[in-house]
Amino acid sequence: MKKVAFKTLGCRLNQYETDALASQFQDKGYELVQFDESADVYVINSCTVTHQSDHKSRNFINQANRRNKDSVLVVTGCMANNAKEELESREEINYVVENDQKTSVFSLVEAHFGGEIIHPSKLNADLFSYGATDKGFHTRSMIKIQDGCDNFCTFCIIPSVRGRAASRPLQDILTNIREVISHGAKEIVITGVNIGRYEFEGYQFDDVVEQILNLEGDFRLRISSIEPDGFREKFIGLLNHPKMTPHLHLCLQSGSEPVLLQMRRMYTAKRFKEIVQTVRAKNPDFNITTDIIIGFPNESEEDFSATCDTIKELNFGHVHTFKYSIRKGTRAERMPDQVDERIKTERSEVLRNLSDEIKVNYRKSFIGKTQSVLVEKIDGNIANGYGEHYIPVQFTGENIEKNQFYKVKITDIEDGSDPVLKGEIL
Amino acid sequence: MRSHKVIEIRNLTSSTYVIRMEKNDFTFKTGQYITLGFSGSIDRREYSIYSSENDNFLEVLIKEVENGLVSKKLKRCKSGDYLDVDGPFGHFSLEESEIGRKKFLFIATGTGISPIHSFVETHPEMDYQVLHGVRIEEEAYEKDSYPNGKYILCTSREKSGDYHGRVTDYLMKNPIPSDTVCYLCGNCHMIYEAYDILEKQGISLGPIHTEVYF
Repeated sequence: MKKVAFKTLGCRLNQYETDALASQFQDKGYELVQFDESADVYVINSCTVTHQSDHKSRNFINQANRRNKDSVLVVTGCMANNAKEELESREEINYVVENDQKTSVFSLVEAHFGGEIIHPSKLNADLFSYGATDKGFHTRSMIKIQDGCDNFCTFCIIPSVRGRAASRPLQDILTNIREVISHGAKEIVITGVNIGRYEFEGYQFDDVVEQILNLEGDFRLRISSIEPDGFREKFIGLLNHPKMTPHLHLCLQSGSEPVLLQMRRMYTAKRFKEIVQTVRAKNPDFNITTDIIIGFPNESEEDFSATCDTIKELNFGHVHTFKYSIRKGTRAERMPDQVDERIKTERSEVLRNLSDEIKVNYRKSFIGKTQSVLVEKIDGNIANGYGEHYIPVQFTGENIEKNQFYKVKITDIEDGSDPVLKGEIL
Repeated sequence: MRSHKVIEIRNLTSSTYVIRMEKNDFTFKTGQYITLGFSGSIDRREYSIYSSENDNFLEVLIKEVENGLVSKKLKRCKSGDYLDVDGPFGHFSLEESEIGRKKFLFIATGTGISPIHSFVETHPEMDYQVLHGVRIEEEAYEKDSYPNGKYILCTSREKSGDYHGRVTDYLMKNPIPSDTVCYLCGNCHMIYEAYDILEKQGISLGPIHTEVYF
């Protein structure tokens, strides 16, 4: 039996696409092994959103080649689009597959073992024809509803590597979800590059969410990353639906109005705060997590302070910080007053400490409350999973099953910067 | 990406010009922008569309940037040359439902007038006022194309305009009714300051009503 190993970098969309590819390989008789093991096929689903992502992607390419020089090495994902020529020139990489041909990675590898060398550009281009993800790396079942982005934020390379916004037909989405629910999925995560901008034959993002929530079955729905500009009031109204999880990853990027303008973000910090307040007015412990870019060109101390103040004010459950790095071809590449790397590092440290403090405080607020935990991992009688607020929870019990919900009363919290909640099964 | 044949270059000042291209089957929503570059070149820049949705040609308004790569090259292009157009992009667009019902104020600085020009050429029936901030009168690009009384020129470095000072000074001295729909396009500082002034005057600005020029 041939062995396949995957490494995924970056966003939830990449994770979904890897899950689908991994499931397809296993359905066709491949054995899935860890990336640090020897395999016949390595698939690296790369990311290029920052310099660091590029560096990690290159590092994993080197690792795969060292492990088995005779393996078939496939590099796909956003770096495959952005640095195609560089990657194609590397002899150890067999195939460089751009995002819109990623669905065909399996047929490419199969052809290779059959003695047929197909150039990836000859593969079918289809953004949405992924199969099931049931044999992937996640208990949660991710469903792709959209790809690409038309926002063209000045720092962002994604529109160049993921292409223009495209939405999957609503009926395909619903069919896909019915299918995964019938196979036992308990948590559906809808994903895409800019899902709030979903638009297909008059249906918008909130219509998709509403129709998913109206499906029958014992499941809950999680929204992955969403931009603050892309949804209507109707979506806010759906957040209290019993099947909707109280968590949104709402990308702020900066708390400074001038910086947001220069990033060409399509909201103001004031509007962002209004959204958070509206959501929390209905559900005070609603978990809002976010992304922050540190050191965007011309970011002053005053701008950075505005970001810190916003983070303190909004009580985020988690803040993912990125140091700004120039992406070739973006508008921000040509902006003057790039921030010195040392200043970015100092600000990152400040923001990380602040973020950790806020995260711990937020999680502590769950002590004494109940979470509905979807179990993802069991070690003896210790179970780990995520509650509906997307906070990690650990509890003990007999005969606990993976991919099942358990009501858990939170009694304690671990130490550290990313503490797991401890609880007792009810 | 589509290739469009250049029809003509219209120089408005020594550094600012309009490129008119064949429209072919290109469609856009007034207010959107394109990226433009010479056919086959990797160097491309974003430009808002200057012409109307209804024109049978496509125009962009370009200011030559000092030490700029693309704007200098494009200025030298000639009738018959081919340029690559990608797009349209952007969400800086009018709400169809508001066009016949609302009063609009369009505020622009410099070449930020480009999408505003497209707005009013596409919907001349709109009830609108244009407020254009420039340094000197020469930069009042094709101001005669706006009907009498619709265009207010604010000049900051000379007294030749309708108002001497910045558009933000004008706004502070001339409050506008709170039911006015405002669109802002231009440099970041103007937008940031004008946004603040307009909010204080009771105007609710959707973020899609701003477009930053750099």
